[in-house]
This record gives sequence, structure tokens and C-alpha cells, in this order.
Amino acid sequence: MPGTQTLVNELVTKLKKRRVEGSQETALLTAELLRSVISQLKVPPTNQAETLIEAVKSVGELLVAANPVELAVGNIVRRVLHIIRDEDFSVATSSAGGGDRETAEQNGFRVQTVAAGPPSRSPSLHAILDRTPDSEKAHHSSRDGDSFEGKGKSADRNAESWKLKHDVIRAVNELIEDINSCHEQIAEQSVELIHQNEILLTFGRSRTVREFLCAAKEKRRSFRVFVAEGAPKYQGHALAKDLGARGLQTTVITDSAVFAMISRVNMVVVGVHAVMANGGVIGPVGLNMVALAARKHAVPFVVVAGPHKLCPLYPQNPQVLLNEMRCPSELLQDGEFSDCMGVCNGRGNPLLNVVNPAFDYVPPELVSLFITDMYDHSNKLKINGLFGFLSAGHSLFCRGGYNPSFMHRLIADYYSADDLDLQKRSTS
Amino acid sequence: MWWRSPSFILDKQQSDTVPHQRNPPDTLPLHSPPPFSMADTLQNPNPENNISAYYQTRAAHHAVVTGDWLAQAQAAIGRDPDDSTDTTVATVAGKPFSVIDEFNSWRKQPELAEAVAAIRALAAVIRNCQATTMMELEIELKKASDSLKSGDTTSISLTAGCDLFMRYVTRTSALEYEDFDSAKSRLIERAEKFGEISCKARRIIAMLSQDFIFDGCTILVHGFSRVVFEVLKTAAQSKKLFRVFCTEGRPDRSGLRLSNELAKLDVPVKLLIDSAVAYTMDEVDMVFVGADGVVESGGIINMMGTFQIALVAHSMNKPVYVAAESYKFARLYPLDQKDMVPALCPIDFGVPIPSKVEVETSARDYTPPQYLTLLFTDLGVLTPSVVSDELIQLYL
Repeated sequence: MPGTQTLVNELVTKLKKRRVEGSQETALLTAELLRSVISQLKVPPTNQAETLIEAVKSVGELLVAANPVELAVGNIVRRVLHIIRDEDFSVATSSAGGGDRETAEQNGFRVQTVAAGPPSRSPSLHAILDRTPDSEKAHHSSRDGDSFEGKGKSADRNAESWKLKHDVIRAVNELIEDINSCHEQIAEQSVELIHQNEILLTFGRSRTVREFLCAAKEKRRSFRVFVAEGAPKYQGHALAKDLGARGLQTTVITDSAVFAMISRVNMVVVGVHAVMANGGVIGPVGLNMVALAARKHAVPFVVVAGPHKLCPLYPQNPQVLLNEMRCPSELLQDGEFSDCMGVCNGRGNPLLNVVNPAFDYVPPELVSLFITDMYDHSNKLKINGLFGFLSAGHSLFCRGGYNPSFMHRLIADYYSADDLDLQKRSTS
Repeated sequence: MWWRSPSFILDKQQSDTVPHQRNPPDTLPLHSPPPFSMADTLQNPNPENNISAYYQTRAAHHAVVTGDWLAQAQAAIGRDPDDSTDTTVATVAGKPFSVIDEFNSWRKQPELAEAVAAIRALAAVIRNCQATTMMELEIELKKASDSLKSGDTTSISLTAGCDLFMRYVTRTSALEYEDFDSAKSRLIERAEKFGEISCKARRIIAMLSQDFIFDGCTILVHGFSRVVFEVLKTAAQSKKLFRVFCTEGRPDRSGLRLSNELAKLDVPVKLLIDSAVAYTMDEVDMVFVGADGVVESGGIINMMGTFQIALVAHSMNKPVYVAAESYKFARLYPLDQKDMVPALCPIDFGVPIPSKVEVETSARDYTPPQYLTLLFTDLGVLTPSVVSDELIQLYL
């Protein structure tokens, strides 16, 4: 435990001091920390899932409080919690499958568990009459755990506890793999979306977008890119240099020129900071203008995002900080305001303020399509969410293209409803 | 689609040729002015559908009514069992059991939701039935549920509740149970518990919506919805500072009742007439409505005036939030306002209206999903597109 405590403190400090840049980095660090927390945790034979969940939640709370604006931290914590619940359920059902229990109530119980469905899906209309009013929040895990533990032998118990941790760690490793490889998966889909002789517009600098465009270039599509520079950091310049070095014809424009140039553009592709549960996105400041320009000229607005950016919260949720104010010195050049910055009015309030917000919220109506490497897990419905932006040449099995209104399904697959509020401890 | 002709002139000609085919619903005392009878002459002559029993019940519970209007309403509800004839189930024991009676007695309690009353009535059917196998039980339940539905075709939560229970029964019977009696008792137990589930659903919805109510906000509500009232009550009890604009909600004026209740909770309330909604919409931060039913497209069917408010809110970019329990999801897909079973309610203008003048007496309207922002249900906070997903899962 002392080992994990120092690790946790390290990451918390890094997050507080904003030494970690970028959601992918943050997501990877969080996932690795949670993996070490889980592996070093001593799990009691009963209620193992509960202990794991409690531990992960407490660490997660600290991490989220350290940097509330970086939503990727909360996302990864909730993913891991969901993984724990999922693995616990499959351990419980697999041990129910083996073993011979013939009593009627056992049959009834097992049947009830199966009929109610896995806990990874949020409560559904399907199971409305199965819900008992007082044990609404009782986890399937603890219920199954208790009853099956009682019947098993002690050797089985130890084997099961080891199995759960092992499974959870394996799944967290897969999650880390996914985060690492998300760029390649997303970039694979670029060749279907980018046609010959198209003009694309992008905003600021996003690694996902860079990989996306370069992959299409590899496949011999010829197209041009307009890059909006993304004041005040001007990261668009770096992206433009990159793309130019790889042989793409690039044009740099200012953010204010987007409306002027949008009529010449065929498609807008951007990377974002986070995707919210209603399909809205949080992106670099100025993105909302680009989205509005695209809507005005009926240009498709495509968002590329890795799985660590999908957030199960709504933007109205008080836990979600939509914006962060950065240092105003990024706007000012060489002390040009230094003479009037100190001027105050009679009450001591400075007359000249400089504000530097970091993010913008784009509502879901303005987004045409999401490209991710996540796919819909449910085997009941093969809904393919590529609406609104299909041209005749595309195959219908583009794995990761989704409508903003489809976010709820991805969230239901990857997150559990119980984990949305990391502060809540007891069942309410 | 209900019978209507594209030209109102043709309508008038047809009504003139049909000699006095007024079917006043079972000799109501004609205290209400003539437009009421004129209205039902022009409608499809179908006595049971003239007054919606569902809206009558709601009015009886929540509206501000005059004494004699209330008497009419009570009379209308009381007449329902007389209208439908073969509703008795299992009269072998000699005592006639009417599921409609049972339902009406449950429905009269103001705190109980329609669907809960329906499911309780069906539970009573199970209890009183003499079947010995699951198939027989299912058949009897189907008969009872059909008669309940036909008794009041306008109530969506009634239909949805019955369907939900029937699907649950079918699913339960598909699982192996050693003992028929244990299955039966389980069904009865689940049905009784459903009432608690429904109350719990309201509390879940109230909790989910707390995040969306911030200090200093102004909320516009329409009509009296028990769920919305629970939401506002919870917010007031957690000491949030907000104010409420309440529309009057003609014709049953349930908004007045809601403003009464809110004033008791010390929430600043402002009453508006229905026409003042657009005038005050710029001060409003969000609109909260309940729903009588949530349809497959993600739209809602609610008291008359909801569509208007949603349109105004949408044009001024204000979010419209709907609070509805999940058992109100119905397998309907109205294509326009008239594409539903007409649910009429009598409107009292206070002055006699000349007989030549028609009155639009529909009690509800349909709000399409593009005007709604989010739905708060006990399944979580949903966007309107999720509703069809849930319904497909249930009925697949």
C-alpha cells in the first residue's frame, strides 16, 4: 500500500501542476496507476468486487479533484470501474454455469439473474418489473458473490478471488492497448471519408487528425488542407509544418478567416478535448465558430476522437467544468499593455481585463459525424450508426462512424450508470 | 386516421344531412353550453370516445373546478363500467368481478399513476381467476387487459402499463417454474410492488434532474405533473434558489393547483396565462414538463399547450426537459397532431357560446422530438433518440 500511495501522490501533483499535457497522456498515466493500485490491493475472499470498486473510486476521486478540467481522468476511472463490474459478473455467471444446483429456488434465482441481464447495461424498460424497489442500487456483484460464495468451498473462493483480479488486470491492459492504438484504428477509416481532390479544413493541432490525414495520403488520395491557426497558441502552425513535411498541400488561415474560406471547403475534420453524453463536444476555443460556419454552408463537420475522450456526463452537470481560464500572457506580446494594465477605476477594479479561455462547447446539432475506434457491443441489435453522411461509394460496415445521438449506446456499453458520481459512497 | 374531410364545408353539409345524431354521453345534465353537443355531432359518432375518462380523472385530481363541472366529471367516470358490457372475468364463483371497476377504484387515488392502477387491476384479475395453467392465466389476462384498454382508448399510460405487464407475464411463463402457484404468487407480488417502483421512479427522476437546476434559474412549467412537482419539491428541499413560472393550464386550470402547492414550499411562483408564455420566455432558463405518454419517435403527448411552449422555447434556444417514468413509453408513432385517438374534454368559457360556433375540445397535443432537449426517466437522462432504442429492446 505505501507503494501505491506514493504513486498516487505523484500523479496527483503532476495533474495539479498541469505537467501532463494532452488527454491521451493523462489517460495512459491514469490507467497505469489504477492497474498498479489494483494489482497491489489485497482482496478479501468475499465481496472482492466491492473492495476493488471502493479502492478505485477513492483514488479516482483524488485524481479528478486534482485536475477537474481534464475529463479523460474521470473517463478512465469510470471505464475501470465498469471493467470491474463486468468481470465480476462474468466470473459469477461462469461459476453458476459449472456446478450442479438443482433446488427450485436456485433455479429461480439463477433465472432471475439471467433474465435481468448483465449489470453492465443500465436499467432497462425490459427489466422494470424485476427491479425490487428497496434494492435498486444493490450491485449484482455483491448479491451473486454472497450466495455463490456460501455454496462454494474455500479452495474455490481463493481461486475465484485470484481470477477476478487477474481478469480485471487483463482487461485494464487491453484498455491501455486500445488507448495507445486508437490513432491507427481511426486513421484506417480516413480513406473512406476523404475523396480525391477534396479540400478539408481543420482547426488547431490534433494528433488524431494528423494521423487521419496522413493515412489518407499514404493511400494516394490527393487533397488539400486548410489549417486554422488556433490562436492564442498558434498550434495550427506546427500542424501545417508537419503536414507540409509529409507532402500534403497545406494552407494556413487565421481563425477569423474561417467564414470567408468555408464555402470552398468540402469537409471539416477536427479533434476535440472531450465528447459529452448528449453528443456535444468540448474543443479548443474557436471551434464553435467553425462549427457554425460549417452548418451555415452545409459542410459536414466530422469529429475524430479516441475512446478515452468519451465522457458519460452531460454538459449541464456541475461536475463538468466546461472551461478553464489560462494565463493571459499568452495573448499579450512583449508588454504592449504594460502601461495600462495597472490603471484602475475609483473602486480599485482594473479597467483593462484580458481573458484567455481554453475551451469551447459545440452543441450536438452542429456535429455531423463522430469517427472513433469504439464499436457497438450489443449483440441484439446491429445498429450501424453511419447516418447523415453516407455517399454511395461507402460500405455500410464502417466500424467507427457514429451519429451524435448514438453516444448513449456507446456510453451504455463502456460505462455503468452507478459510477457517474464518483463521490457517492453509500446506496442512496 | 380519424374520419375527417379536407373541407370544412363538406363537413357542415354532412352534418346537416345527418339528422340530429347527437349521442350525448349517457344523458349528461346539459349544464354545459351547446358547443359541447355541437362538437360531438361533428365528430365520429362514437359515444365512448367523447369524453376522455383519463383527462376527466386528471382534472378531478388536480384541476380547479366548479362544483357542477365536477359532478359532470364524476358522472362521466362513473358511467364507464356501464358502457363496456362483457368485462367480467371468471364468474364461476358467482360473484361478478369487473376489471374495469377494480381499475376505476384504484385510479381514483390521486397519488397513484395510471399504469400502476392498471397493473394493480390486472393483479386482482390474477388473484380472482380460476386458471390452473399458465396458458389459461395468460388468456384471461389478455382478455382483461383488452377490455381495460378498450374502456378508455385515450389513456396512453394505461395501454403502456397493460402491455408491459403482459410482456412480463409472457416472459415469466417462458421460464421454468416447478409450481404454478408459485409463479402466480410471484406475478401478484411483482404487480403489487410495481406501485413502489413507480414511487421510486419519481424519486430517481427528481434526483437526476437536480444537476440541471442551478441557483438563480427560472423554470417554466405547464400544467400539473406529479413528477415535475416531485422534481421541484426536491430542489426546494435541498435549498436551491430558483423561481417558477406556472402557466394556468386551461381548460382544467391545473396550473393554479400547482402554484398553490409550490407556494406552500416557499418557492417564488409567478402565474401566467397560457398566452403569456412567449412574452416571458426570454426570462426563462429552462422549461420542465411532464408527459402523458412518450412515443416511439421520442416526442411526447401531453396536456394541450405543451407543443406551443416547446415551439416558443426552441425558437428562443431554451432547453425543454421532460420528466417521465419509463413505463410511459408507448408504441405509438403519431405523424401529426390529429394522428391519435381523440381525447376530448369539455371546455367552459363562462359565457354561453352561440350554437353555430365550434369549439376545439382536444385535451392533448403531440410535441415532436426535435423540440425536446432531454428526457429525465428512471432509466437515466436520455436524449429523445434513445426512446425508440428502449422500446425496440422491450418488444424484440
